[in-house]
Amino acid sequence: MMFRRLAAPMLLGTLLGLAGCSGPLSTLDPAGPSAATAALLWWGMFAAFSLVWLAVVGLWLYAMFRQPASDDPARARRIEKRWIIGGGVALPVVSITVLLAYGIPAGHSMLPLPLDKGESLEIHVTAHQWYWEVMYPESGIALDDELHIPAGKPVDVHLRSADVIHSFWVPRLGGKLDAVPGRTNVQRLQADEPGSYRGQCAEYCGVGHAHMKFTVTAHTPEDFEAWKRQETQGDD
Amino acid sequence: MTDRDPDFSDRVTRLERVWANLPGLGTLAAVNHTTVGLRFMVTGAAFFLVGGLLAMLMRTQLALPEQDIISPEIYGQLFTMHGTVMMFLFAIPILEGLGLYMIPKLIGARDLVFPRISAFGYYCYLFGGLIILSSLFLGIAPDAGWFMYTPLSGEEFSPGPGSDFWLLGITFVEISAMAAGIELTVSILRERANGMSLSRMPLFCWYILAMALMIVFGFPPLILASVLLEVERAAGLPFFDVAGGGDPVLWQHLFWLFGHPEVYIIFLPAAGIVSTLIPVFAQRPIVGYRWIVLSIILTGFISFGLWVHHMFTVGIPLLAQAFFSVASMLVAVPTGIQIFAWLATLWTGRVIFSLPMLWIFGFLVVFVGGGLTGVMLALVPFNWQVHDTHFVVAHLHYVLVGGMLFPLMAGLYYWLPLLTGRMPSESLGRLGFWLFFIGFNATFLLMHLTGLRGMPRRVYSYEAGLGWDWLNLLSSVGGFILAAGVAVIIIDVILHLRYGRRAPRNPWRADTLEWALDKPPPTYNFVSLPTFRTRHPLWEHPELPESIASGQHALAGAEHDRRETYGSDAVTGKVREVFHLPSNSWLPLLAALSLAVVCVALLVRTYDVALVGVVAAAVFLLRWGWVNGAHPGMAPLSNDEPTDPPLHSRTTDGPGLWGMVVTLMANGTLYLCLIFGWVYLWTVAPEWVFPEDPRLPLSGMLVSGGLLVIAALLQHRAAKRLAAGNAAGLQARLWQAAGLGAAHFAVLLWLTLEAPLEPTGNSHDAVLLMLLIYLLFHGALAALLTAMQALRVARGYIGVRLPYEPVVLRPLWIYTTGIFWLGVVIFILLPAGWAP
Amino acid sequence: MRHRAVHPAHLVLGLVVWAVWFVAMYGGLSVACAVAPPPVADGALTWVNGLLLLLTAFTAAALLYAAWRCWLAARAEDDVSGDARSRFIPVVSATVHLSAAMAVLAIGVPTIVLPPCP
Ligand code: HEM
Ligand SMILES: [Cu+2]
Ligand SMILES: [Cu+2]
Repeated sequence: MMFRRLAAPMLLGTLLGLAGCSGPLSTLDPAGPSAATAALLWWGMFAAFSLVWLAVVGLWLYAMFRQPASDDPARARRIEKRWIIGGGVALPVVSITVLLAYGIPAGHSMLPLPLDKGESLEIHVTAHQWYWEVMYPESGIALDDELHIPAGKPVDVHLRSADVIHSFWVPRLGGKLDAVPGRTNVQRLQADEPGSYRGQCAEYCGVGHAHMKFTVTAHTPEDFEAWKRQETQGDD
Repeated sequence: MTDRDPDFSDRVTRLERVWANLPGLGTLAAVNHTTVGLRFMVTGAAFFLVGGLLAMLMRTQLALPEQDIISPEIYGQLFTMHGTVMMFLFAIPILEGLGLYMIPKLIGARDLVFPRISAFGYYCYLFGGLIILSSLFLGIAPDAGWFMYTPLSGEEFSPGPGSDFWLLGITFVEISAMAAGIELTVSILRERANGMSLSRMPLFCWYILAMALMIVFGFPPLILASVLLEVERAAGLPFFDVAGGGDPVLWQHLFWLFGHPEVYIIFLPAAGIVSTLIPVFAQRPIVGYRWIVLSIILTGFISFGLWVHHMFTVGIPLLAQAFFSVASMLVAVPTGIQIFAWLATLWTGRVIFSLPMLWIFGFLVVFVGGGLTGVMLALVPFNWQVHDTHFVVAHLHYVLVGGMLFPLMAGLYYWLPLLTGRMPSESLGRLGFWLFFIGFNATFLLMHLTGLRGMPRRVYSYEAGLGWDWLNLLSSVGGFILAAGVAVIIIDVILHLRYGRRAPRNPWRADTLEWALDKPPPTYNFVSLPTFRTRHPLWEHPELPESIASGQHALAGAEHDRRETYGSDAVTGKVREVFHLPSNSWLPLLAALSLAVVCVALLVRTYDVALVGVVAAAVFLLRWGWVNGAHPGMAPLSNDEPTDPPLHSRTTDGPGLWGMVVTLMANGTLYLCLIFGWVYLWTVAPEWVFPEDPRLPLSGMLVSGGLLVIAALLQHRAAKRLAAGNAAGLQARLWQAAGLGAAHFAVLLWLTLEAPLEPTGNSHDAVLLMLLIYLLFHGALAALLTAMQALRVARGYIGVRLPYEPVVLRPLWIYTTGIFWLGVVIFILLPAGWAP
Repeated sequence: MRHRAVHPAHLVLGLVVWAVWFVAMYGGLSVACAVAPPPVADGALTWVNGLLLLLTAFTAAALLYAAWRCWLAARAEDDVSGDARSRFIPVVSATVHLSAAMAVLAIGVPTIVLPPCP
């Protein structure tokens, strides 16, 4: 009875999860390598941990309603060993090991390390209460609240803050990184396909926090060059 | 209490009189743990309702997209105050209150070791909480989030008094946490019933001991951080301000160095409730007692190595993040051990499925869910995506509500008969549970998805069409179902006071000693103090309640017309001394009131009034220290003293010494955090500079330190000789030590005033000034207290038969000397050697 | 072999060592990266990683040794008194030391694969 009451919302959640991943800010609708890795990690953990959760809850329910046959202390000790060592020690240790085996290399792959070939594009972003100031150091292009990048190429966003702590986040392209006064943090982004991706500030930064949004537009390499030309000419 | 000889009822009446609270308003002077613990819990519950109300306001605003019922300014105050109230004014105090209330009853004692300190803690909590709450009604509540990140919470970006309310009020409330931490640690270690060795201690005591020690080590970072930020705001000393040589990330380190252990400070006592209830309802001893003790110890330590998992997006080297990531996942192991030990207990027992068990089951479902999302969050690359989104909001409520509120409700229903003598209703209780459980999951389960779909936390409003609309609506509906559940539970508890069935002596057939008490428990708990031979006294000796009440065990009655209980060995639990405990006192209330004046005066920045408050508080505290030991108000020397075991104030290893050592452990943690701040800013802060010329002459420091060493040695000699039974020249020696200590203080003060410090200009000088103030305070304190002891020698409160007090001060002298020289090395010699 | 009773401080000693080790790892890494960061191109093969690994191995070995000693003491206690209660402190201490050693090893592992400073 109770079990069914619990199973229903859980199942519902799962179905909804599977059905509703898309969205302009959804991490489950990745459009770049970092976001894709993170989404994959999520689905793996979600599947495995749902099983663990169901198993633990199921075992508890069974344990509560079963009537043990005997009070034999030796048997009790065996059960103790089985559950505590098997469930309490082995299960978490194995899960952690598997998780880290995937997770540590995944984290490594998201770092802005030197590339094997080619250079990444460098963009400077300074966060303000409450807008993003964007600067292209090579070409001198300056914008507010919008970034333009070439699709299929890694871009390094150099993040600074002019006032309080903000956090730069484009959910469909990758994780977030804080803009901290006095530091420069580097976030690597890459969009696989041309398109427009939304971003927002993720660290509470005052009353304008909810509206501190921006867009990242990914162009084909040719379009990107054209955009750059147009911007530099438009300036002077 | 049936047929007894008249002589014995006289003794019980006398016991009752000695332990009674004062009548009428005099009840405010109560110090006994039953009264104070209950006050903590009731106040905490009231704050829970306040926090819940704020949450409902937020859920109303978020129910539909683009609403503007609540402005962003107010929303900022709402989430900040909700988090602050729930964490600092509800969760921690109510669990401390539970500990204060239960521990003596479980370990067979009559009261805690330092009753006045718990009363003082309560008033600090109450006044601090009211001060913080008042900001909400004035419309100037703090609004930078419950972790108050700088620079947003600093003077420039939060100019009003909002942040000050938080910093000062929380620091005031933290006094109560520290008080409870010290109180519970010493009580559990030194006050257990005769024969209750560590291995016979009820598991709940292990959990509370771990919680108490974690408070002792976990709160100092927060206290230091709050003091530094308040000083930065009020006086402009740059600790977190980049331009002046500070670094905002230092705040985050200090805050989370406290903040993560705090989560386990909340979880451990709640898990203690689970470990207490499960064996009772499974009708068999817990499986894997040692495993659980191991898990408690592991959790207590490892939870101090996780704090950076709240800072994975700050930009710290990935390898360092990996250390914290692995450590965060490792805490899953002790938690897993406990969950499976509980499972094995249920598996091998015959479970009675009463109302408390329903809440325990709710705990399991919700908490395991939250634990699993916690492991997900510990994985760095996934954390980068969901950090600061509603996924985290969902996770934290699964762990906090699941890991704390559900067990607490189980405990409430379990211990309600003890508190009130009546049984709660099963039917209304079940309705309340199901509303709460369904409402909770409706609110927070789907919120994981909201977060994964990109909704950041702390946004007061959101655009329609981002895929968040119906998720938020469902969460809000769930929130109201949950609130209805809380209402039903409150009605249930109120109704039961009138209509509940009378509870039998041991309604759940429990094994622990609190069920041997009358209901509601008398202020002295036990008429006579039993000896422990087993972990399950009431199962193996069902006659205990009777024999305790009829005075068949030790220390029956109150023979000397004072409050007494046994003190015992920390490991074996063998009786070592009789603790005489203070009776009702106004001093805790007066001292806390003075501090409240200080707090308000600092808020409105009228420093002369604050100074008056500080002096008043010091006077009350010193008076409190004076009424101790052989003072006529306590346990004056007499000729019919018990000698086997003796009174504790006639020994040299009593609870005072233990209390002092535990306090110094907390204090030392604070000092280490200050050193950490120094080294951190030195190596990390972008604008940090060492001034050209040295700020303090080394020779002057050597003189001051030399005086301190001699003073400490003199005090040490005096204490040692007195302990050996030699009181010749004691008073003179103590005066000398106090005088040299005062000289040390004077030299240090002169050096500080002469030093060319520019504390508002650069963080080097700012931190150095904090160090000097810290050293000055300790120098003055040690000298002052030693002078007071010299006076007490003159009054006859210290002497050959009363060697107790100088030994208590000895660690303070050693500590003061230690921090001075460590300070010289790290703040003066190290920089000089590093960058000549 | 004769064994003295295990001091109750061993209930926490292993984890105190763990805590000190942890601070040394994190502090050492942070200071090294602030003062003399090795070139990024070296990957995980740097002197920083080497030192951290050495510290890890040494600490884990010490903790394992302590666990073993406590375990022996527990066994000896068994022979002397035959009372399960007096084994409580040595047994729990042994498992605490062992857990601390495992925690040191587990947390130290990333040092093998990750570059120190980026
Ligand atoms: C009783 C039902 C509760 C509801 C409906 C609720 C709801 C909420 C909501 C809507 C937020 C704000 C999310 C945001 O905008 O970022 C929040 C934040 C929070 N809640 Fe609750 N909450 C409840 C109970 C609790 C309890 C019992 C605790 C702790 C013991 C707690 C601790 C927190 C904390 C620490 C925050 C973060 C505050 C911050 O971001 O500064 N909540 N809660
Ligand atoms: Cu922002
Ligand atoms: Cu944490």
